[in-house]
Amino acid sequence: MRNTDEYPISTTEEREAVVATAGAAPEEDWVIVTRGLKREYDMGGEVVRALRGVDLAIRRNEYVAIMGPSGSGKSTLMNLIGCLDTPNDGEYWLNGQLVSAMSDDQLARVRNKEIGFVFQTFNLLPRATALHNVELPLVYAGVPGEERRRRAEEALERVQLGARMLHKPNELSGGQRQRVAIARALVNRPSILLADEPTGNLDSTTSEEIMKVFEELADQGQTVIMVTHEPDIAAHARRVIVLRDGVIASDDKRSAFTQKVGL
Amino acid sequence: MRIVDRLGQNLTIALDTLRAGKIRSALTILGVVIGVATVMAMAAIVQGIREQIVHTIEIAGPTTFYVIRYFSSTPVNPNRLPRDAKNRPDLIPEEAQRIASLPEIGYSAIWAQVFGRVEYQGIRTQQMTFMAADDRYTEIQGGELLEGRWFTRAELKSGTPVAVIDHDVARKLFGQANPLDKTVRLGGRPARVIGIYAPPENIFAPQGQQVGAIIPFLFADHAFVIDKINALFIAVKPRPGVTVAEAQDAVTVAMREIRALRPGQRNTFDMITQDQILDTFNKLTGVFFLVMIVLSGVALMVGGIGVMAIMMVSVTSRTREIGVRKALGATNADILLQFLVEASTLTGVGGIIGIIVGLGSGKLVTLAMSIQASPPLGLTLVAVGVSVGIGIAFGLLPAMRAARLDPIEALRYE
Ligand SMILES: Nc1ncnc2c1ncn2[C@@H]1O[C@H](COP(=O)(O)OP(=O)(O)OP(=O)(O)O)[C@@H](O)[C@H]1O
Ligand SMILES: [Mg+2]
Repeated sequence: MRNTDEYPISTTEEREAVVATAGAAPEEDWVIVTRGLKREYDMGGEVVRALRGVDLAIRRNEYVAIMGPSGSGKSTLMNLIGCLDTPNDGEYWLNGQLVSAMSDDQLARVRNKEIGFVFQTFNLLPRATALHNVELPLVYAGVPGEERRRRAEEALERVQLGARMLHKPNELSGGQRQRVAIARALVNRPSILLADEPTGNLDSTTSEEIMKVFEELADQGQTVIMVTHEPDIAAHARRVIVLRDGVIASDDKRSAFTQKVGL
Repeated sequence: MRIVDRLGQNLTIALDTLRAGKIRSALTILGVVIGVATVMAMAAIVQGIREQIVHTIEIAGPTTFYVIRYFSSTPVNPNRLPRDAKNRPDLIPEEAQRIASLPEIGYSAIWAQVFGRVEYQGIRTQQMTFMAADDRYTEIQGGELLEGRWFTRAELKSGTPVAVIDHDVARKLFGQANPLDKTVRLGGRPARVIGIYAPPENIFAPQGQQVGAIIPFLFADHAFVIDKINALFIAVKPRPGVTVAEAQDAVTVAMREIRALRPGQRNTFDMITQDQILDTFNKLTGVFFLVMIVLSGVALMVGGIGVMAIMMVSVTSRTREIGVRKALGATNADILLQFLVEASTLTGVGGIIGIIVGLGSGKLVTLAMSIQASPPLGLTLVAVGVSVGIGIAFGLLPAMRAARLDPIEALRYE
């Protein structure tokens, strides 16, 4: 296991500098840069402003938690970062590519290659085995059958599920299901791992197990961004961003955050 | 390579889905099964009959042809004849004799078909055909005399009420007893049995047209009413080495001379060859096929609409799955392909079941008619293709709906 200090956390000054120049492609080690990101929903005349201009910069290898009250726009932001949704206004740069200008097919490709998504409700295919679920992203990447199987097995072993590969989701516990989902998110070696309330449906012991998996991944250099309601879950990350009413309210190192919330 | 792999994946997914909803799937493909089964069964039967006719023609010698008063591919109502045909004279025995004397001709005789039941001491057969012919009938039509004898010249000349009866008829009426010299009734007319014959094997004859007895032509001519338009003809067989065309030419000349037709006048008779019989059959079955194809087309349409409905339901109930697949990198085209493969697998399976059911029942029917039929294999491929095509055509709309789903909305769907 590597030393945590090997991956320095971006400082406020560095972030402000990257975000400042609109239209400029950020340098290579910035995985995610958003500038003035807006997302509005038109609810029959009434406009819901879910994100009202988010300036975000995340470096490769960072482990970030996003917190905030319900309705503050956490999921909306995650969906934009995960290329499942497109903003109404603003820029989104992922790995130096301007995602906010991409077509549907390009977005699908980015989702496949660059992004691993972990959901609160696992979202596994109920009739498929763990192995087959993990193989899915590789299917869409066009990886041939044998290699696909090998890599899916590897990913499952990485989350300690080597012995459960041929189980279907309903034959697994909640924690095991979420670990299958994590293996599925990792199998394409994405540049970012996104998790929207990954422990939302799990008890505290199982949540800790999942957090341990995330921790290990982060230690191995995986960029992780997760949304959570719970401060003690957020405290596992090395950097905590708080959203309020569709904008970033605070962005702190773990130490500053734990001090604030009194953990 | 990638597309093959992807198709394989989709096929697995599709088969899984079908297995998960067996009853629903079965109901969905019922229309396709029925449509395909009907066509296949009909095709098997028609093919069987056709092979049988060809076989019969082979037995009879493909060179035999018939002179008739008026040729039409369907039986004609004597009161509704075209004017040209109405004015034609009936065929007469003398014309057959004249043709027989031609050097090109090996055999020529006037034949007629009359109809009735065979009856002996209260036991009766069903309605049958009696061939009014001569002692060389089996030379032309095949079959053989088992017992007794054929007609004498005198019996032929005087139209004596004698008959050579079919061996099945003999067994039915007489059992173990000896039928020879017994007097049976043919359509109510008494006739003495002088011989028993067996028809050629596997001769196909529809109900009511099985030949029950062979009788002297002149006996039929005075004792029965002959339908001289549909059931009276001269059977002609060319001598070996003479082609059908040459023989027909010679017959035409002879007939025109007998009937004293002037140059420029049209023939007042028609000729029909075995090839034409086959042609006629093909035309009839062509119409039959067309009707069957239209009917099964309707069944396939109904099946297709069923597939569309079930695929719509399937897309809705799997909205979340579609969202997950898109989140993992499936493009719109991937999702489209998945649902098209699913729909066409559904109908393809329906098609295969239809083929098995259709060929199976076709086989049963042909066995019941005691004819041998080889399955129409070419049609099998077409049927599979059409079924898969139906799936693609009717699956397109639901598949497009699935492909166009917004990933987030799909993921949020409860
Ligand atoms: N599809 C939508 N249509 C309309 N409004 C939406 C839609 N999705 C989100 N919103 C609105 O946008 C705002 C932000 O929603 P979002 O789901 O991002 O909140 P959140 O921070 O994830 O909340 P929670 O903690 O409850 O998950 C909310 O006011 C929500 O009602
Ligand atoms: Mg949320």
